[in-house]
Amino acid sequence: MKFFPGCMIHNRFPGIERSLFFVFEKLGVEIFPLKGSSCCPAPSISKSVSVELWKEIGIRNVRLAKNETIMTACNGCYTSLHEISQIFNEGDIRHVVEYLHSEIGIERIKKSVEKRLPVRLAVHYGCHFFRPSKHKGFESPERPKMLDELVNAIGAESIDYKYKFMCCGGGGGVRAGATEVSHDLLERKMDAIAEKDVDAIVVMCPLCLNQFDVGQSELNELRGKDYRIPAVHYVQLLAVAMGMDVSLTGIERHSVIEQNFIEKLVRGES
Amino acid sequence: MADNANELNKCIQCGTCSASCFSGRVTALNTRKILMEHIAKKRSLGEFDTVWFCVTCYACQERCPRGIPLTDILISARNELVKEKGLPGRLKNAFKSLQENSALVPAKNEHIALRKELGLELYHSQFVDSARNEVGEIVRKYVGGIIK
Repeated sequence: MKFFPGCMIHNRFPGIERSLFFVFEKLGVEIFPLKGSSCCPAPSISKSVSVELWKEIGIRNVRLAKNETIMTACNGCYTSLHEISQIFNEGDIRHVVEYLHSEIGIERIKKSVEKRLPVRLAVHYGCHFFRPSKHKGFESPERPKMLDELVNAIGAESIDYKYKFMCCGGGGGVRAGATEVSHDLLERKMDAIAEKDVDAIVVMCPLCLNQFDVGQSELNELRGKDYRIPAVHYVQLLAVAMGMDVSLTGIERHSVIEQNFIEKLVRGES
Repeated sequence: MADNANELNKCIQCGTCSASCFSGRVTALNTRKILMEHIAKKRSLGEFDTVWFCVTCYACQERCPRGIPLTDILISARNELVKEKGLPGRLKNAFKSLQENSALVPAKNEHIALRKELGLELYHSQFVDSARNEVGEIVRKYVGGIIK
């Protein structure tokens, strides 16, 4: 199996990658980096400009794996490579969250937890994991439960909030091309999350992570907000629950850091 | 675009697309109007820059009771707009980076340092000369002209 990092994990949140390799080693699944792989490229922004470019760069990445399964931890990379592998009828593309849920299973995850994490989390799925749903064949794209179940499996609690299934505002080239719109959308989500007493936001995509983490700091700076809710990728939490040192997850290198949350992760359930 | 017009003939004007649009709540993006008044009637999107406010969350497409691939159609309308008016400035920079670094989001020194700190190799094509050049050539072939 090969790990496809994409730009956001390789170049922004490498702690996700460190965590994923730890988790797979613990689970006894062999996985190696897909060397020489490039930008996936990002689905909507690339297709908006040139579908041919999107397909040709994408299939190059798929073929690098030489028919080994490609594991992604990003919704954008997953959607691009998955769609392209279907167009060319080549390759096997997985997202770590659906892989953990369906191949490893909740029961085995529970058993592999060394330290339960007593934290309250706002779960955010991100758009491109489920949607477009036509070729993916998962559970309902309206009210998915997969990530909530995985969160519960490590002793954490998923807290419902308004706009839970709405976009973070980071996708479609909007963060890059129309930052103010992207901030407006994030502000709606953040206001809804801030109403609830949560320790952190948990995502399954580094683009969403960037939006919640860096975008949150931008809202604090530009709009006088005072949000202080850390954002993390699920595999970072799972790695901690399976015994990895918190410092290796990179969580302390994110933009929004709360000591109270870090302490809960370090301590675990007492 | 002709196929899109055919697909849009199935529209019953129920408004589920606009009601499902998260971006439409905070911007002037009007999904139904763009789709039915412009794409279906093959009128130029002209000044409809709001098409770039779509986050491509696919909520409208998932919920369309007539099964019209609305988001996909909107994305192909952006394609037409790019041909007509070129790329919006900041997206141009993103594709320049894709051409130069084979990454829409390239690593800077601080990110390289963090990878080293975590004991991770640098293996994205940005750091592999032959792979970076290969991807750069693909970008040049398709969009080299519009990102100059």
